[in-house]
Amino acid sequence: MGWFILRRLVLLLVTMVIVSVGVFIITEASPGNVARNLLGSFVTPEQEASFLNQLGLDEPLWKRYLYWLAGTDWIASKRIGLPLERLTTERGFTEWWAKLPSGDLIRWQLKGEDLVAVIKHQDGRIEEKLDNRRWRKGGGGREFFWGVDLHNRAVLWQKGLSKKQWVYVHGKGWVEAAGGATDYIPLKKGFLRGDPGISLRTGRPVAKSLFVRLRNSLVLASISFVIVMPIALALGIVAGLTAERPIDRALSIVGMAFSVIPEFAMGIFLILIFALWLRWLPGASVFGNHAPWERPDMLILPVLTLSLIELGYVLRITRASMVEVMRSPYIRTAYLKGLPHHVVVFKHALRNALIAPITVIMLHVNWLLGGVVIVEVVFGYSGLGKYLLDSAMYKDINALEAGAMIMVVVAVGTQLVADIAYTFLNPRIRFK
Amino acid sequence: MSSQKINEQVLELKNQMDKGLLSRREFLRYAALLGVSLPVALRMVGLVASPKLQAAPVRRGGTIKVSSQVHKITHPAQISWLAPSNQCRHIAEYLTFTDSNNITHPYLLKNWEVSDDLKTWTLNLRQGIKFNNGDELTADDVVFTMNQWLNKDVGSSMLGLMSGYLDPTGIEKVSKYQIRLHLKRPEIAVPEHLFHYPAMILNHRTFEGDFIKKPHGTGPFVLAEYREGERCVLKARKDYWRKGSDGSPLPYLDGIEFLDMGAEMAPHIGALKTGEIHVIEASDMGGIDLYLSFKNDPNVTVHAVATAQTRVLRMRVDRKPWDDNRVRKALKLCQNREKILALAYYKQGLLGQDFHVYPKHPEYCPKPVPKYDPEKARQLLKEAGYPNGIEVNLAVGSDWADVVRYAEILKEDAAPAGFRINIQTMPASQYWEKWTEVDLGITPWTHRPLGTMVLNLAYVADDQGKPVPWNETRWVDKEFCDLVTQANGILNVEERRKVFCKIEDIMVERGPIGISYWRNTWLPARKVVQNITAHPTGYLVLTETWIAKKS
Amino acid sequence: MGDVSQLNEYEYIEGKERKSLLSKSLRPFALIFSSRTATVGFAIVSFWIIVSVFAPFLTPYSPTYQDWKAPNQGPSWNHPLGTDELGRDLWARLIYGARIVLVIFPVSSGLWLPGGTALWGVAMALLVGSTLGLISGYKGGWIDEIVMRLLDAMISIPVILLYLLLVAALGASAVNVVIAIAIVGAPGIARLVRGLTLDIKTRDYIRAAETRGESSLYIMFVEILPNTKGPIIIDAMLRVGYAVFAMGTLGFLGLGLPPPSPDWGSMVAKGREFILAGAPWAALWPSVAIASLVVGLNLLADGLREELTRYQ
Repeated sequence: MGWFILRRLVLLLVTMVIVSVGVFIITEASPGNVARNLLGSFVTPEQEASFLNQLGLDEPLWKRYLYWLAGTDWIASKRIGLPLERLTTERGFTEWWAKLPSGDLIRWQLKGEDLVAVIKHQDGRIEEKLDNRRWRKGGGGREFFWGVDLHNRAVLWQKGLSKKQWVYVHGKGWVEAAGGATDYIPLKKGFLRGDPGISLRTGRPVAKSLFVRLRNSLVLASISFVIVMPIALALGIVAGLTAERPIDRALSIVGMAFSVIPEFAMGIFLILIFALWLRWLPGASVFGNHAPWERPDMLILPVLTLSLIELGYVLRITRASMVEVMRSPYIRTAYLKGLPHHVVVFKHALRNALIAPITVIMLHVNWLLGGVVIVEVVFGYSGLGKYLLDSAMYKDINALEAGAMIMVVVAVGTQLVADIAYTFLNPRIRFK
Repeated sequence: MSSQKINEQVLELKNQMDKGLLSRREFLRYAALLGVSLPVALRMVGLVASPKLQAAPVRRGGTIKVSSQVHKITHPAQISWLAPSNQCRHIAEYLTFTDSNNITHPYLLKNWEVSDDLKTWTLNLRQGIKFNNGDELTADDVVFTMNQWLNKDVGSSMLGLMSGYLDPTGIEKVSKYQIRLHLKRPEIAVPEHLFHYPAMILNHRTFEGDFIKKPHGTGPFVLAEYREGERCVLKARKDYWRKGSDGSPLPYLDGIEFLDMGAEMAPHIGALKTGEIHVIEASDMGGIDLYLSFKNDPNVTVHAVATAQTRVLRMRVDRKPWDDNRVRKALKLCQNREKILALAYYKQGLLGQDFHVYPKHPEYCPKPVPKYDPEKARQLLKEAGYPNGIEVNLAVGSDWADVVRYAEILKEDAAPAGFRINIQTMPASQYWEKWTEVDLGITPWTHRPLGTMVLNLAYVADDQGKPVPWNETRWVDKEFCDLVTQANGILNVEERRKVFCKIEDIMVERGPIGISYWRNTWLPARKVVQNITAHPTGYLVLTETWIAKKS
Repeated sequence: MGDVSQLNEYEYIEGKERKSLLSKSLRPFALIFSSRTATVGFAIVSFWIIVSVFAPFLTPYSPTYQDWKAPNQGPSWNHPLGTDELGRDLWARLIYGARIVLVIFPVSSGLWLPGGTALWGVAMALLVGSTLGLISGYKGGWIDEIVMRLLDAMISIPVILLYLLLVAALGASAVNVVIAIAIVGAPGIARLVRGLTLDIKTRDYIRAAETRGESSLYIMFVEILPNTKGPIIIDAMLRVGYAVFAMGTLGFLGLGLPPPSPDWGSMVAKGREFILAGAPWAALWPSVAIASLVVGLNLLADGLREELTRYQ
């Protein structure tokens, strides 16, 4: 059993690696360009290059993958020569600081040719002072310095560079300065350490916006799950018990039809019927700043769409399982013993008949995720699926990776749960 | 320019108007251009500035809900989409204000004066305006902000707009409330540029690059919450510098909530129908579906406005086969304009004539609308060496439904002429990535209040004779460039129109673009929302908007 | 579907009944008509195949002809199903759209292959999947281990994610739709074929072939593969259903065939814009078409499977 779970966990890891590498490669290979998407279509090549540099997107693919996976703070820390620390301010902004041996935190700003250190003392006091002694001599007599700037990046500043920059200095106005930043490493902890990075599209942490989306999707999926399961199991059992009779025929065909109609078609049918012709329900899900459960009327149609499709699927599986169990020898024996029909059904058949559906449903989560994406698009429901679709269209790699990883974990994780559940429900295979 | 001189010019303008050479609208616009305040100008045309008195008295209070994409914002000067500017413009403000009639007024400015050669602009700030953190608005803020625009590292689209005529060294702080701009060349559109959406005036004392962290502006609202992809919540401030019609400071509203409902229009429409939101701020997503969905809705008013927004069928003249003017002309002849306007845009706009001058631009010179003529097109193709027709690829962004329909109609109607068009759809973001590069494509162009503005951006060469960055067609025509330069320096509308007649002829004769229609745009709002107007540029200004009680 | 593998007794039936060519070619029909479910499915699928093959004779309109005086109309005598937003006849678009799914595969503007896009997708999936399955099952050992673990990983990737990544990356075209369908379908087929191969490998006639000294390629493709066809055919039929489903979904997400192609999914996506504006027809009909074709294919496959199980 332990060996089996271990194997599954390894599979999960392998899948995650394959998917994450795949997403990187595919995003890299596909047309589309983040800089143009974000800065608008009218950026100049220089602005684009500077933007890519500032976001660290000019690095080679393998390096970016590594940074995404393992973070950049350790590399930056080596360059800077000080340990780095991530803080969250009370307004919810993330800030990176370098830590001085004294325990105070420090960041830098380039003002003209002067390095200005911003020091945050342990008591919370913030002090600014000139810090020019940190310039280091580099090749060609140039002076350079790796430090943390105010925008959560490690920056390589270089003095005496021919590149001109306009820098604003308090009290002086605008001054032209040489010695701008030449290289940037955006600081992050990396996916492995629970930091999926900054969304390129929104510029804010992926984890934050993903959480709300994930919650919304979970609400949608779990409500329909709770509704579907009892109904579908009951109907499946009814169909299985009345196998080959009209009730079964009707249920089977309807169930099959529901389970194979594409979600968007089902969604459109429901919108037409309930929103356009009957005018009972809104045709779109717009929560604004409400949580989904605060607007139940808007949840009904998406939940219904998802439910009908799942209903068909679960019904079919349950029916098949029930039919098989009812034909099995031990049920025949039970009848031969003279037990009444309802006792046979409820005491003997049901338990065994439910094993298959429960596990198979878990395996079906993979498919269900697709349904959730489509339903979210049809109804404009802001959930994980839409987030993923938008991110894919935008080439927002960090958001896309995080969304994809969640999907893989959900899909593979439920399979693992299904397998474990199966061994518990069916003792016969436990020792195989 | 002395005030004496201003008056002379205004009187001259008024004279022109009286002779019928100038419409009232144009007069107002040019009077405003000369720095005459709107009430004065209105009095001259015999109108009284309506003190915004409504039939029902203004009602204060309430929070208006607007569906609008909530993008990433850091530096306001970097904003490249409408939606964030429509949120920020309630927090920070502009020096000028171009209203729905294309007339530009002073706003944070008290007035402006311009020298005869249109090269020296003196901007006088209003006094006593306070930022929402208590700082006073002074010339330093304006100088600071303008330098941000012109800073290459900031990467503002203001740079492309202004760097041609203004260097950072040309910005002079004269006094605490006066700034003087020394231009490199004459420019008439300075006041319009000052209302370009990234041109919000920032607080030079506190601005550090991220507006969300320190949202200090002079506007009527303050930022309460900002979450990309979700919502942006604004609260009214009590000490705003403008007064409402009831004598107390604006705004009438207690707050504004911008809710991000994604890039699909359907949820927005559904939400407005059910009253979940008050207004749809559709930015550039707003298509005909807005109009169709609400034209019969008893609870919603669709505020319409004609605009110079258009879809430009652009051909790269440095690439085969579009380097041959006969091929370009042939494709232009394949536009069945009435059909395109009817189907792609449900007749909600004006017909275009293949030159990028909009019939409501002040300097527009009337020309006939070209007819659909596939026979002649076929003939031209034959002459150009394609007797058996020609296969071409047409790039379109799939997010713009009317562009796709335009392409589909063109494909159908160009077939008899011998064009076999393959439509290549791509997400709009991908289109923007190569909009200047594709051989044949349909590019959305936004509204601009003056005819010269787009021509300068997209159809001329720079000092070295190379196409300017946004010249997506690479079309450089010496005579045309000279005429545009000439028009840039002419203030008198009639004189300018004469030049534009020639400009338009050249574009029809050998230009690189087809323009089939100019789009109306809409601002759908619940009926209870009062005093709201659609703006041709898609700007949403809620400063004087109020919500009536539900009847 | 895991239970398909129960059906590998199918070849017994075939082995037993060596009848004339005629009755052999009629046999699948006999099988279909002996199940009511399969008959209904067959009728629906045949309907779509017939209308798509004879599309030019069933409507006076071309699917791209634009009647610009009559956009977004409801059903009428002139347009039995109404018109879309450009005044194109929806019935014409619908049946020409069925062609793309079932009859022709538009590779590029000049090149059309026979066999629908959905069929090509499944065929490619079969090609890749059964080759992998055969090799993995017949060779066994570490090859099997590696292939199967990779396939396991592939299968556990959510399908929608694969579609999004592939088509968003490759761009929208019929060829890319085929690639997407093939990549998504192949692992399932490989698993199925591997299971069947493991079973058949132990049969005597394989042993015999091995002793004859046949190459493993010969054994895999000549001895084993033909004997797996029963379950594979039924599985493929279900997969055509999924492929139609997938084409619709991709089109709906804006990743379908480029306009003005009457791609059903794209038709729904475009028509959806006008539902709330009071013109639901353009979205309704292609939704009905996709739903009915997918249901038809599933009924057919289900019925056949049931009939075959009954033989045991």
